[in-house]
Order: sequence, then structure tokens, then C-alpha cells
Amino acid sequence: MTAINNDCQYISKNKISFTFDGKIYSAYDGDTVASALLRNNVRLVGRSFKYHRPRGIYTCGIEEPNALVQIISEHNEPNTRATIKRVYDGMEIISQNRWPSLRHDFGAINNILSPIFSAGFYYKTFMGPKGFWKNLYEPLIRRSAGLGKPPKNFRSKSTHQYHNTDVVIIGAGLSGLAAAKKFINTKYKVLLIEQDCYLGGILKNSNKVKTINELTPQEWISETEELILNSKNITILKNTLVTTYNFTNHLIALEDKFAGKKIELNKSELTLHKIRTSNTIITNGHIERFISFRNNDLPGVMLASSFEKYIHRYGVVPEKEPVIFTNNSSSLSLLKKLISLGCKPKAYIDSRKKDNIETEIKKILKDNDISFFSDAEIEGCDGNKKIETITIRQGKSFTKLKSSMLCVSGGYNPDIHLFTQSKGLVKWDKNILSFKPDTPFQKTITLGSTSGNYNFKKLCDEINEKLSILKTKKVSLDINLNVPNKFSINELWETKKKNNSNWSKSFIDLHNDVTIKDLKQAITEGFDRIEHLKRYTTNSMGTDQGKISSINSLAIVSKMLKKEISEVGTTTYRPPYAPLSFAAIAGRSTYEFYDPERKTSIHSWHLKNNAVFEDVGQWKRPWYFKASENETMYQAVQRESKMLRENAGILDGSTLGKIEIKGRDALEFMNLMYTNAFSKMKAMTSRYAMMLGEDGMIKDDGIICKISDQHFIATTTSSGAPKVLADMEEYLQTEWPHLQVFLNSITEQFSTFNISGPKTREIMMKVFPDIDFSNDAFPFMTFKNFDYKETKIRIMRASFTGELGYEIYIPPKFGLKLWEEIFSCGKEYNLIPYGTETMHLLRAEKGYIVIGQETDGTVTPIDLNYNWMIGKNKKDFIGKRSLSRPDTSREDRKQLVGLSPINKKDIIEEGQHIVELNELPKKITNPIKYLGHVSSGYHSPNLNHSIGLAMIKGGKNLLGQKFFVTATGKTKNIPVEIVKPVFIDPENKRLTS
Amino acid sequence: MILIKCPYCGYRDQSEFTSGGEAHVIRPKNPQSLSDKDWGEYVFYRNNPKGIFYERWVHSHGCKKWFNVVRNTATDQILKVYKVNEKRPDLSEFENTLKSPSGEPLVGSGNFAVKK
Ligand SMILES: [Zn+2]
Repeated sequence: MTAINNDCQYISKNKISFTFDGKIYSAYDGDTVASALLRNNVRLVGRSFKYHRPRGIYTCGIEEPNALVQIISEHNEPNTRATIKRVYDGMEIISQNRWPSLRHDFGAINNILSPIFSAGFYYKTFMGPKGFWKNLYEPLIRRSAGLGKPPKNFRSKSTHQYHNTDVVIIGAGLSGLAAAKKFINTKYKVLLIEQDCYLGGILKNSNKVKTINELTPQEWISETEELILNSKNITILKNTLVTTYNFTNHLIALEDKFAGKKIELNKSELTLHKIRTSNTIITNGHIERFISFRNNDLPGVMLASSFEKYIHRYGVVPEKEPVIFTNNSSSLSLLKKLISLGCKPKAYIDSRKKDNIETEIKKILKDNDISFFSDAEIEGCDGNKKIETITIRQGKSFTKLKSSMLCVSGGYNPDIHLFTQSKGLVKWDKNILSFKPDTPFQKTITLGSTSGNYNFKKLCDEINEKLSILKTKKVSLDINLNVPNKFSINELWETKKKNNSNWSKSFIDLHNDVTIKDLKQAITEGFDRIEHLKRYTTNSMGTDQGKISSINSLAIVSKMLKKEISEVGTTTYRPPYAPLSFAAIAGRSTYEFYDPERKTSIHSWHLKNNAVFEDVGQWKRPWYFKASENETMYQAVQRESKMLRENAGILDGSTLGKIEIKGRDALEFMNLMYTNAFSKMKAMTSRYAMMLGEDGMIKDDGIICKISDQHFIATTTSSGAPKVLADMEEYLQTEWPHLQVFLNSITEQFSTFNISGPKTREIMMKVFPDIDFSNDAFPFMTFKNFDYKETKIRIMRASFTGELGYEIYIPPKFGLKLWEEIFSCGKEYNLIPYGTETMHLLRAEKGYIVIGQETDGTVTPIDLNYNWMIGKNKKDFIGKRSLSRPDTSREDRKQLVGLSPINKKDIIEEGQHIVELNELPKKITNPIKYLGHVSSGYHSPNLNHSIGLAMIKGGKNLLGQKFFVTATGKTKNIPVEIVKPVFIDPENKRLTS
Repeated sequence: MILIKCPYCGYRDQSEFTSGGEAHVIRPKNPQSLSDKDWGEYVFYRNNPKGIFYERWVHSHGCKKWFNVVRNTATDQILKVYKVNEKRPDLSEFENTLKSPSGEPLVGSGNFAVKK
């Protein structure tokens, strides 16, 4: 039965109610889920990860391996540590990993089947047959093993906050507060970060300290907090957990803005603090560790100092008559407190020899007539979903006790997690039997129990000495204790088992259900390196990262290997210190805030005219325009493509990247950047150009307008613009700093319209009656500037559809007006708007390539038969030398060809393979010879059959030959003829009409 | 997340920069005169040492300037920052800097946390 400690000052008297697995319980404001459940005598709270064993509350903090719950009232938030999460009125909580209920869990059969779930079971059990992993094993494992279910309907409002500071103190316990005191009213900007909502750490979690400077611990905490709050240079962050210690003293801390409160949907629930500091002081204390014995996972086993914390911090005595099992001196304070509350422990079992046990402990046990076993250990415990009997071994004799709770203390580990994250080196300390910080790698100072100093009397000297490198005040701490100052411990990691059964297990990792037997087996199988062993057994790989058990496993493994523990070493401690929700990491970068949306000046018109948009980089581009509600994409694209070749169409090309290149050496620069030769090119003409990487592969393409030798405008692909500009800039700065060239991104300075089709000239003449659009005055690939109304425009004769076409550039401010003007003039010519999909279809008919569609980073201009674009007489350009590398000049490289179906009804699909077989075997046993792939495939409304562009090995020499294209879901392939990659107007009559 | 001192803007967060790989790899003056092997070395081969590394960075979300950095890849410490037109500092300048967090071997993981 539980009892109440009425002295507790940290719990309010406000009663609240919450539900756990549907049942209503009452608690107090300030309780955690765990303290509230214990208050209600609930000890079974979950099922374990692998074996579905019943589990209870093991600890009273962040280190909890067992008590993970799902919070229904917070968007179904899973894997919440019951020992940290505070309850509030109306909170709905359920247990995890059980079906149909916590008491009757079907998955518990895994415990009986445990021999197949031993170390490395993933690798051994699920080897075959083929397909079984994906279809059977994985879904089965995911359902039966694991944690909570993912949250749903959740939209995070987490925010990020940045700090630049001189000093960060992590943990506001005794050492942290004393350290903070030294900084009061100094020149340093200090952040004091505490995980709890109260300061004080061990001072409020135990009664080990009697007085500090003649004040009670509570008085000293209040006095210190007030001094800190009154000083201008120190900020306190409560409910904030430092999870990450990166290089260059960069810390990440998570603040729970709604700790103990119901989340308000319109407010940020979490703040992720990103802190850059000059000095870091780690005072986050220590974590108690357990001892492995038979069934050390039964509900009712709890760490002794956690039991003590429940009494002091939450006012709950989890059990009036617990059994205490320890290997060290620390449980004296618990013993004293229980006696003072009128509770009497059932027994006290100490693995130390009687002579080594503190006189005070022995006196209390004797005076209160408590069963005392020295030089003894717990053999194991038994019971149905809870401890019922406990077996004690003392020498050769065994004693069985009836009890429902067992407090265990296996000693303390300095919490070195953050210190090792910072790349500091730790060292084994024989006196405390644990690793402690040794050599810091950054400007890191550890104080108090974090540094391995368990001696209260030496704390003040340690703080003053270690902080003497900074200009701080002297602090004095006169500490009076309720317990002996000297820490004494006897090495004990696991106890000997008497009984052996399938059900009885000695756990080394409660979170991931790893047993000592698994460690032994892994070593037998040759996994004797600690990092391998960890992964093979999954030891300490749970969300608790083995906080109460990882050092134990190192010790046990070192004994098995007959090595020193420092030789075995630790595994790497990785951030985050405790689970960090994705919502906090994402912050405000979710949904529409994840990536900016870029819209052209015509966007509103597109919306009004039923455009369906496609994302191109960050741009929203019309994909196609719906002529009616029921028109499908296929129908729309066929219609747009046909209408354009018959009349005229207009595309919003504003997203096209545009870069201005100016300066004395602009011509030389362009000749180096692009494959084409620009020297002989006339002013006010334009040219289709390609940019390669140094490996000779196509990177980008576009039209280059030459205004003069000192002034060019290059267009790029819509998504490639930033990269092209950055590459140009890089070469200018790093390779050719002698060239005087200036680059400027002018993409957003213009709205760009591509108008094309046989009726284009008539429309243009109507829109711009003063301009002569005749072939002589305005030939293909030339451009001119004009005054237009109150602005200036540039018109270029160019086309990406293969039809007569013009590109109009106008400042975006006037874009929409001109666009509407063109439509009103184009109405009588049946001008249509078209989107990117129609653009792609039309250019495929004409055999024009698209970067990223025909090219994939392994394609040279020669592979595309674009030899004419290569300035062969140029001495050098980016990638030129690579075009004559043996691999790049191979005859059998994949080359661009056209595909025409022999049966005109067949459909050539994009991405399909080109093979020699007319039919694929039902069962593929040998690799099928692969010739290439279809890079573009469309139904051409103008030819009335399917067409394809393809990249085929040695394609240039295969014209006229017959091959086959695979088809989705069919073994019968489509016969195709290899043709030239031009399907419409090979003589360019339409283009130059 | 490391701090990088842009020679033009000062200390900024790593997220403002883009790494550009090994520094002092000069584009050959006359690529056509190079053998396939030599050109291949220039295009495809880069050093990737554990320890002192001369590398390029660009302040891509800032002044967009390229510069050189001497960084210890084992510790992530930035030992020197210099402009592209400045002389490459001699390796001996960094002889006395920390080789790796725990003095582990030149090849292998940087994860050793226990002091030997
Ligand atoms: Zn800069």
C-alpha cells in the first residue's frame, strides 16, 4: 500500500482527475503521470518492447526505461515518459504495446517464444524465403513489438529561439545553483537551465542535506533563486532539457511550455533553444543504476533513490513496507525517511560485508527491528504481474520474503552523456565504480556529482577552484548532512540465479528487453567489441539509451571478456540526451511554411482560368488549364497541343532563370562557361547553349542573348537558375579572378511570355502594331528592345514548340496587363493558354530535350547528337577536355533516338526499358539484356499515335531497326522502330515561317 | 553545427555556408595538353584525410564569397581561415594542434570516449 508524505511542498492541494486506460483517477496539481498512478496504487503501466512482459514504474525521472505511455489528449502523443510528464485535469492516458488490454496481453506469448527472439534475432530468424520480410515478418514485428502509435491530426506550433551567451549552466541542483551564485552581477551573460519546474535537484529529491549556511535546503534554494532573479545577467529556463552538446559550444535545449497544463491549440507548445556559448558548466548530476537479478523487471522493482524522490518531490510513499537492496551507502537517507514517516521496510539487504556497512545503518535496523542481510543479495523475485515473493541469498542459505516492492541501488553514474557528446574523454574511477569526466574537448567544466565528486564537503572548493579561470565571485557553502559524507560501494552488477525457466530472465536493458544471456550469447558468437555487441543485441539502443544500465553492461561484458572495463570502453553517447519530438525540430517550418512558394505576376489570371499547378523548384507553374470541370489532364494536354499547332498558344515562362553577365571580359567568360562559340555571334542575336560540368556531362541549357561583347543575358532552366549562377560565381572568384565580369540574377525583373503557333505573327502585329514582325526584319533567333506604353519591352524570336514563336520580356508590374491585352487580341485567332505538360509534349514532337528528362548527369552533348553546339575551335571551355576521354567518346554510349510504335495503337510509356525480346519470360531467371530506356513518352495528337524519345546504347547506328519497349504489368512488349528524334517539321519550315 | 569565420563577414553559423571540397586544386591552364590520366586526376580525384585538411567554403547565404579554411577533420576544429588569393599556410603551422579528440589512430572511428 502507498502512504502520503504531508511535508512535501512541491505538490499543490488542488485535486484534478485524469484517465488511464479509460479508468478515472484523481491526483494533485504537480503530480507526474507516474506519481499520480503510484498515488492510486497502480503499478502495472505497460508491456515490454519484445516479450510483452508486464512492466511498472522503475524510476522517477528522464532515465525511465519502462513507464512509457500514450497521451490521447495531446494528439495521441506516444512514448511519453510517465515519470516526467505532468498530469492535468482531464488528461487522457493509455498504456502502450498491449492487445487487447494491459492485463491480458496476447503478445505475451513472445515471452514463451523468447528463444527465437534472442540476440541477433532479426538477422537470424527472418532470413527467408524471399518476400517474407516485406509481406509477413516486418508487418508482424511492427504490430507485436514496439512502442506507441504515431500522433494524428497534429499541427505543431513549436518555435525556435536563438541565444548567444557567455556561460550556460546545465542543471540547477546544488552544484548548479552554487555555480550560478558565483556569476551574480558579473559581466557574464549566463543561462541557467533546469529540466524540472523547481530548482534544487537533490536538495528537493532527498533529505541528504540538513542545512546549507545554516538555512534549510528549501530556504537556501529560495534565497539563491531570488538573488539570481534579481541579478541582471542571469536568465533561468525551467522545464527545459538540454538534449544536445555539439561542436563549438553549441547546445540545443527543449522547453516544454505547457508542462502540467493542457495544450492550447493557438500557442507554441514547445520551444527549441539553440544556444551558442563561450563556456559550458555541466551540473546535471548523476543517475542511479540498477542490478540485474532474476525477474528484475517485475512491476514493483524500483530504484531506491527514485523511491526516495517520490516521497520528497511528490509526497507519495510508493509502498509502506518495501524491501531495500543495495551495494552502497546511499540508502541510509531513504531508511531514515521511511522510519520518520512511520513506515517500516520489510528487510534491508546489503551486498557489502557487515564491517563495511555504516554504523548508523546498522543501528537504525536494530532499533527498529528490521530484517538485515549483510554480504547478501537478491537472487530473484516472482509474482503474477507484480512482485509477490523475493528470494534473498546469504552465503548458501536462501530466504523467501513476501513483499510487493523492492528498492534497488546499484550505485551512481555521473551523468556523462552531455560531456561525451562534447567529445570530452571519460576515465574509470575505482572509488565510485563508474566513468567520470576527465579531459574536456571544449570549454566545458563539470561540477559536483557529474564530475564524480560525491563528497558534499568538497563541493565548495571544487566550484571555487574550477571556476577560477573565469572572473567570478567567491561562494561559500557550509553543508550539514543527514548522512555520512563518505560514499562506500561494493562491486555488484548481477546476482547468481538459482532457478532457471523460460519465464525467468535477468535483464540488462529493460527498454529493449535485452538479457544477460543475450550478452553472453553475442560474445560467444564473436561480437566481442562493445560497439558491435550493442548493435547485435540492441543493448542500450532504446529511447532511454540505457541510462540506468549501460555501465552495468560494460562491466558485465568486461568480466566475460576478462578485460579491464576501461579497455572495453563505452559506446558512443549520441544526441539527443532524451527523445526530441520532430515537431520541435521542425518548428514553424511545416506545411506552407516549409518552403517558400514563388508565384509569377500572372498567377491570379491562371487561378481564374482553372490552371492546375505543378511545382518546379519553388515555383508554381500552370501544368495545364482545364477547359471544363470534367476535362482530364490527358484530354487537356491533347487539346492544348493540337490547338497550338493549328492556331496559337501562350505560356507563362516567367519562372525561367535569367542571369545578366556584364563587364570587360564577358565574352571570354561566356566562351569558357558554355560549349558554344560566342565570338562570331552578332550583337542582338541569340543562341541555344549548353553548360557542362568538368566531367563533360550536361548541367544546364538555355538561350544566350548577346547584346554586345560586354553584355549577355543567359536564360537557365527554372529550377537550375541558382546553381548556374553559383557555378559562374565560383569560377569567377576561384579560377579566373583576372576576368572583369559581373553577374546579376534578373529572373524576377521580368515577366516572360512564350507565344507560338502558326497564327502568332498576326496576334503579335495586333498587340504591337508599330513593330515589323516580318521574317526579314525579325528573323529567327534575334531580339529587339522597344518602348511599350510607359515601359520598355524586349522581344525575342525563339521557340520551344517548333512553331513560329516569340518571347516577350516585360517588367512584372506591367506583365498581367500585357498578358490580358494579348488575350483580347488573340481571341479571334483562338489563342489558348497552355501549361508545362503541353510544352513538354510539343518539344518532344520536335525532338528538343529537357534537362533532367533526357539528361541525368551522365549525358554529353555528343550523346544527344548536339555536336553542332560544341565550339570545336575554342581552346577551352568547362568540360571540353572530358569530351575526348576514352569513356566519353565510346561508340556504345547511350545516345538519343526517337521511338515510333510499329502498331500505331500501342502506347510508349516513359521510363520503360528497351529490350530485344518481344516477350518477357513469366519467371525471370537470367538477366535480360538491357539496351536503354524511354526518356519521354507522349501520345502525339498531331500525329495521332504514341511517340518516344529514348537513350539507347549505340543508338546513332540503330536507325530503322526494330526493338521492343516493356509495358507496365505486361510480359508482352511493344515493338518499336528506332527513328530520328524529330517527329514534326524536320526541315524547320514552321519554325522559320 | 560549427562556427565559421567568414573573412569578410566574421563569425557565422555553419548553416550559412556551403563546403566546396579540397582547396588548392587548380584548374589546368591548358586542359587539351593533359593526358587522360592527368585530366582524370584533376576532375575525379580529391584527398579526404583524417586530420588537417585544406578546404574551400563559400558564404552562400551571406556575401557569397569563396575562401579557404584549414580544418582538422577529426576534431572539426577550424585552424585557419584565409582568402583565395592568400598564400597556403604551411602544414608545420598546425603541428602542435590537437590531432583527434582522444588521440585515436589516424585511420578509424573518432568515437573513442575513454581515456587510455
Ligand atoms: Zn561572408
